[in-house]
Amino acid sequence: MKMVPLEAYLILSLLLFGLGVFGMIVRRNLVAILMSTELALNAVNIAFVGADSHLGLVDGQIFALFIIALAAVEAAIGLGIIVAIFRLRKVESSDELTDMGG
Amino acid sequence: MEVLIILFPLLAFLLVGLFGRRLGDLPSAIIAVLGSTLSFIFSIPALLKALNSPFSVKLYDFISFGTYTLTLGLYFDPLSAITTSLVCLVSTLIFIYSIGYMESLFGQWTYKFYAYLSLFLFSMLLIVLSDNLLGMFFGWEGVGLASYLLIGYFHQQKYATNSAFEAFIMNRIGDWLYLFGIFSIFYLFGSLNLLEIFSKVKEIDPNLLGLAVLLLFGGAVGKSGQVPLHTWLPNAMAGPTPVSALLHSSTMVAAGVYMVARLYPVFESAPQGLKVVALIGGLTALFASLAATSHTDIKKIIAFSTMSQLGLMFLALGIGDKSSAMFHLTTHAFFKALLFLSAGSIIHAFHHHARDIYEVGGLKKHMPITYATFFVGALALAGVFPFAGFWSKDLIIASSYEAGFGLGVFVSFVSFLTAYYIFREGFVMFYGPERHKGHFEEEPHEAPSVMVVPMVVLAIGSAVVGFFEGWYMSALEDNKEMHLDIAISSVAIALLGIGLAYLVFVKRSLDPEKLYQSLKPVHTTFREQFFTERLYHKGLAKGYMELSKGLFLAGDRFLIDGFINLLNFLYFRVVKFLWVKLDIYTLDLFVNGVAKFSFRFGRKASLIQTGLLNNYVAFLLFGLFVLLGIIIYFMG
Amino acid sequence: MMQWVAFLFFASMTLVSALGVVLLPNIIYVILSLLSTLVMVAGIFFVAGAELVGALQLLIYAVAIAVFYILVLTAVPWEKALKKDSHYRVEGVLTFPILLALYLEIILVFLIGISVSPKGQIREFIQNLGNTQVVGSILFSKYFFAFELVSMVLLVGMIGAVIIGRKEEKTYEDGSS
Repeated sequence: MKMVPLEAYLILSLLLFGLGVFGMIVRRNLVAILMSTELALNAVNIAFVGADSHLGLVDGQIFALFIIALAAVEAAIGLGIIVAIFRLRKVESSDELTDMGG
Repeated sequence: MEVLIILFPLLAFLLVGLFGRRLGDLPSAIIAVLGSTLSFIFSIPALLKALNSPFSVKLYDFISFGTYTLTLGLYFDPLSAITTSLVCLVSTLIFIYSIGYMESLFGQWTYKFYAYLSLFLFSMLLIVLSDNLLGMFFGWEGVGLASYLLIGYFHQQKYATNSAFEAFIMNRIGDWLYLFGIFSIFYLFGSLNLLEIFSKVKEIDPNLLGLAVLLLFGGAVGKSGQVPLHTWLPNAMAGPTPVSALLHSSTMVAAGVYMVARLYPVFESAPQGLKVVALIGGLTALFASLAATSHTDIKKIIAFSTMSQLGLMFLALGIGDKSSAMFHLTTHAFFKALLFLSAGSIIHAFHHHARDIYEVGGLKKHMPITYATFFVGALALAGVFPFAGFWSKDLIIASSYEAGFGLGVFVSFVSFLTAYYIFREGFVMFYGPERHKGHFEEEPHEAPSVMVVPMVVLAIGSAVVGFFEGWYMSALEDNKEMHLDIAISSVAIALLGIGLAYLVFVKRSLDPEKLYQSLKPVHTTFREQFFTERLYHKGLAKGYMELSKGLFLAGDRFLIDGFINLLNFLYFRVVKFLWVKLDIYTLDLFVNGVAKFSFRFGRKASLIQTGLLNNYVAFLLFGLFVLLGIIIYFMG
Repeated sequence: MMQWVAFLFFASMTLVSALGVVLLPNIIYVILSLLSTLVMVAGIFFVAGAELVGALQLLIYAVAIAVFYILVLTAVPWEKALKKDSHYRVEGVLTFPILLALYLEIILVFLIGISVSPKGQIREFIQNLGNTQVVGSILFSKYFFAFELVSMVLLVGMIGAVIIGRKEEKTYEDGSS
């Protein structure tokens, strides 16, 4: 049977990653920014798993596992921060959180 | 050996000048007297030696330049030797006199007085004894300096210091002419030595020589107080009486006459010069005697008398009679010094307060010795037989009659005036009411013996010296006959003068007060010395001051200060301009520009930090893009 | 063949969902798109032969995390959200070219570096065992330390999330915390 070529995985990963970063730039809603982050991470996972299937190793899958776990933690904390911000400032869009700007 | 003659006064000057403060006044006086006495003593053998054969004593070489050497030396011939002894003798007597006169000032640094006197004597001897014009000039200057110091001795009085200035400046004018005379002599003769000059005198063009002679005579005019450099002599009476006696009657002012006599061979070869000498001499003689008739200051009358007699001496020199002039100089030294010392005795009697002849009177019974000596001097001055003045003045009158009848009459008229004014002074002071009673507190008393003795000695001299005429003339190799008719007429004229004074002032046949009022304009003119003094003081001196001030304002203030200020101003302008251009426009611009640029750039750059999360992610993307680019570049 | 088709299907669905995540204005739609994306990615994992990872992806991502997002979205009142723009137009337009340039760069990298990619040598060994066992054996031997660390991180994250999300006793009026 015909294997999926490595390039396919990688191109898909690339496109997805680019979309994720683009979403981070473009979106105003804080939660939406986080969601774009998840997208990018998933893209990376695809790349790992794809390379893994080509090489016949499982190390990539283990790393993808780790990434999933950490992404979960990161999502939890990020959302917690968003909730705290909302409680404090009653804002949910990033353009009102420019205090660190000069 | 002969050098000691001039060294004694010099030594006295140095000793008293340097150590007088420590020595004290009286010891200083004694040192001065000693110096003078020793010079006199040593001059006698030199005189005797010189009478036989003149000799020179070389002192030392002064400066040598190429072909000629300036030297200092002494020359003893009858003329200089006799004059030396005369000067030393008179100086000694006056020094002794001054101990008494200045006694009241002892304790006030009077040693200075004796130092100056010794300096004067040294310089005078240099003039008399020098064998070349340079040494004579040194002495010339020296006596001028001593005169200045001594006239201004009472330096707290403004009149005295002004008179000292006047004397010195007029002397200076004369000295300036004299110096040019010396230059011309050197130019013409190539030497300053007297003997060399005398030997070459025939070879020089008389016209050029005439010019040199006039310049030399200019010095004599200044030194002897002849017209037109005469106004200082009456004012020099501001000095102490010994000074007036020594410098301004017998010795210093006689230096002019001596110089002409000394250089007589030169003068003789330039007849035009001699004419000028006679002219000025005669003019001064008349002028001064007219002034003397109208003055009332005790010493000024005698000063004018000096001026007049010197004029007669120059007149004599001018008409060719050197020996008469020198003999008159010799006798004049005696009786003029005597007259001054007598006047000084009177002034001293009133503790230096007496000034005017009308302030005193009837002193005959209070001061008999002074009375006697004064009249001896007066008779000698008037030229009455057998006193000294008769012999010498008679010679001059005779010579002038020989030169021209008019000249003889002129000189006779001057003698008449001379007799009149001196006896006027004598009669007013010694006869008549005692005007001093109301004026001064002091009772006049005779002078102390230290003053009286010199006066008596001089009186004896004034009486006796005349008899040495024959010896003197033969010493100077000039034999004169006595003209009896001239002798009688001159004595008669003198007696006429005396008689007139007697009538007016003693007998009161003609009331002096009425005469005074009626002749007021005339005698005011005489008194003001034909307004020459006014002219000089107000016209020349003041005018010169104004000119100087004007030049100062124009030149110094305006030009120089203005120039400096302009430079200053410009300098500041330039500096300011440079500062503005360089500093403000370039440096500051640069420095400020950097600061401004950094600031603005920083502010613009800080716009990157929006604080917006999304923007930061965009930058991350951009960075990733750049990094990958770099990797590709290096990979490919 | 079958793999290739499945892959294509999942890949396209992923991309479409991802586009939805990025572009859709309504936040609820965005979450749903994300959910879709996650499920499709799991599918790709299965196609690649990574069953464990795929399963865990579905469990953790598609269930837990998605639910978490929905929870937050509902717990927080979003009344004010609808008034503003959901996207930054300006930055999007500006950044899009850079994105494309980035893609181009990666493609360049492919073209240059494709020759050096290795071919699988150990495939035969794995085919017999089955994926999960293999992953487990490698995980707990070779990457044991990393495994422990990750669990540590999970613990810390859990505590952190609790602390951050806790309601304060007093709320401060002026925004200082």
